[in-house]
Amino acid sequence: MAAVEHLLRAQAGAGPGLWRAREFARRASRGIATGYAALDAALYERGWPRGGLAELLCDAHGIGELRLLTPALAALSQQGDGWIAWVDPPFVPYAPALQAAGVDPAKVLLVRTKSRSEQLWALEQALGHGTCCAVLGWPGEANFAALRRLLLAARQGGAWGSLFRPASAAGQASAAELRLRLIAKPNNCLQVAIVKRRGDWPAAAIDLCLAP
Amino acid sequence: MNTPCDQLPGASGTIWLAACFPALGFEVGQSAAPSATDGPAVLAEDGRVLQANAAARQAGIKAGITLAAAHSLVAELACWQRDAAAERQRLGQLGLAGYRYSSRVSLAWPTADRRFKRRARAAPAPMLPAAVLLEARGSLRLFGQGQADAAALAALLGKVAARFRGLGHRPQLAAAATPLAALALARTGLEGLPGNAEAALRQVPLACLDLSAQQLERLANMGLRRLGQVLALPAAELGSRFQPSLVDYLHRLTGRKADPRPHIEPPERFRASAQLLLAAVDSGTLLLPMRRLAEQLARWLAARRLGTSLLIWELRPLAGPGTVLPVRFAAPTADAAAFLDLSRLRLESAPDLGEVASIALRTGPATAMPLPPAAGLWERLPGEAAPAVPGAVALVDLLAARLGGEAIHTLALQADHRPEHAWAHRPPRTLQSATHPTGAAHPTDAAPSKGAALPSSAGEFAMQTQRLSALACSRPLWLLPTPLPVAERQAAAFEFLAGPERIETGWWDAADLRQRRDYFVVATPGQAHWWIFRDCRPRHGDEAHRTLWHLHGYFA
Repeated sequence: MAAVEHLLRAQAGAGPGLWRAREFARRASRGIATGYAALDAALYERGWPRGGLAELLCDAHGIGELRLLTPALAALSQQGDGWIAWVDPPFVPYAPALQAAGVDPAKVLLVRTKSRSEQLWALEQALGHGTCCAVLGWPGEANFAALRRLLLAARQGGAWGSLFRPASAAGQASAAELRLRLIAKPNNCLQVAIVKRRGDWPAAAIDLCLAP
Repeated sequence: MNTPCDQLPGASGTIWLAACFPALGFEVGQSAAPSATDGPAVLAEDGRVLQANAAARQAGIKAGITLAAAHSLVAELACWQRDAAAERQRLGQLGLAGYRYSSRVSLAWPTADRRFKRRARAAPAPMLPAAVLLEARGSLRLFGQGQADAAALAALLGKVAARFRGLGHRPQLAAAATPLAALALARTGLEGLPGNAEAALRQVPLACLDLSAQQLERLANMGLRRLGQVLALPAAELGSRFQPSLVDYLHRLTGRKADPRPHIEPPERFRASAQLLLAAVDSGTLLLPMRRLAEQLARWLAARRLGTSLLIWELRPLAGPGTVLPVRFAAPTADAAAFLDLSRLRLESAPDLGEVASIALRTGPATAMPLPPAAGLWERLPGEAAPAVPGAVALVDLLAARLGGEAIHTLALQADHRPEHAWAHRPPRTLQSATHPTGAAHPTDAAPSKGAALPSSAGEFAMQTQRLSALACSRPLWLLPTPLPVAERQAAAFEFLAGPERIETGWWDAADLRQRRDYFVVATPGQAHWWIFRDCRPRHGDEAHRTLWHLHGYFA
């Protein structure tokens, strides 16, 4: 390790050759801005992964798990051309609240499936089709192979996939390139712990103040 | 050659066969509201009797009298309101039925203005019936089966009459050398054949011609009653006394002037089928012939610049009924690959097909495909719909083919302040590009039941967002489809952040939909934000145990 440090220092200013993944990540900024500066700064691509999967691990409803996404969804629905697909949401995405947050309800594609295999199929189709800018899914339990398929579909379709999974899934391996644990905090705040991210080590929890 | 053929006007000339339907109005009315009575009945329009059947005429009811007068003459009078649109539609169907006997069929809808005038001195002329005209010369050999022309024509007349009677109509038929002559004879009720048509035509009363009430009155004042009398007059003088259109009409009737008519064209339909040499049992084997049929359909549609949003596959076994698999598209399509992709998905979700011996493909109504948007020549106008995002509908089709059309929705706002009614599902059609979001692209897409859909054009979207952000802090992103009861004990532990907001209404809805609720935003001990309400409806004796608090949404 010390040798690596030495090499890095030796070639400083001498052009490419050896670099830290962390520094590489700093250069890329093609992600979808989350709307929260503190979170953007912690993420590879400076935002939600375009053409990738993000996993949001939380158990409770109503702690701000959607408000974490709405700034990015609003930006996508006002700039981008594409559906925002919601595959099997646990409740009704409430159109007046979406509109108030700036998300165009006419771009929301609500998909209801009857079985797990249909759900994974619908997620894969939506991610890989190329006409969705964002796909939100509630797959619950999903094995690594299924997540890997979804990741490949997202890469192919260039969609930002967000999967909501129970907090217990944090211990399992996952193909998603970004995994966040959401922890409720008082006063409209949300604590985001980065379980996994590209280009860097897991980070300490970030406290975000959500829009009301 | 002194055969009956010589008696037909110009052995090579046209023969027009007219079938008019004097009682079409009655027949259309009867099929809409069947009643088996043969009692007195009238057809009415604008409160006046337009036509009366035999029983009603016997009772003294005449065309033109008011309905009140008719009812005073006959107490139990059956009365139908005239429906001109339905009559036109029925005439079109009759024309298609006549298409079996001739390739040149046209429809004759009376054009002359015969509306009753309140101050007309003469008795009003009878209403002219609508008619179907068929050119019979081209069909004589087929339907005459080797007989001489006159006999063949008589046979054809009989067949056409039988066909129309079989459809529940009572036609009057006649044949003549020109369409108008045949029409005049048919209206008179003279079963004229071209041989004696000349003589029969002279006896046709003027009221059976396409003349206006005013023209009829003037001719009657001149002492003219029959067509023969008018034809005997010099055309130039007739033209100067009446409008030239009368002379033109007479010339067309006698054949001195050509009388081209628009012919009906039956709607085009695509039907194709493929026989399998070996009965197929698995869907893989079926795909190859299905691909051929789909490509055939795509070529057929492309040649006509049409698209279809419904394919109907029929998979038939050797014996017995087949399986019908409809495949629906969100928007008209003419792409073979799209046809095949969705058909494959549909086939996979189909029940056990058994052995398939033949496959047939037909389409639902084909509609004109929109032209590709002109690129860059003109700027889009502000009111114009934004271009649809290409391929966005294909995803909807793809998902709907496997999950079913009812599984895919988009969301829309509704102008209602009750939380449950402030939003609605919409079937997704096209996705407008984001630069100019507009809701005006689907005027037919109006809210089906509750309230009107809020418009969301570019400017209004921003305005609405602004208006709603005022409410944003009080509306949750998750709404529960049905409110969940919350125990009083649990509610005591909540920290109340906002409220109460009274939402009350629904007096126009059923009693169980009426609401009177105080909504609160609360923080639970677990720091989740809930949207709960207290039911404020007065309690009755048996409802004393009703839960007070309900959870209706999460501020997710």
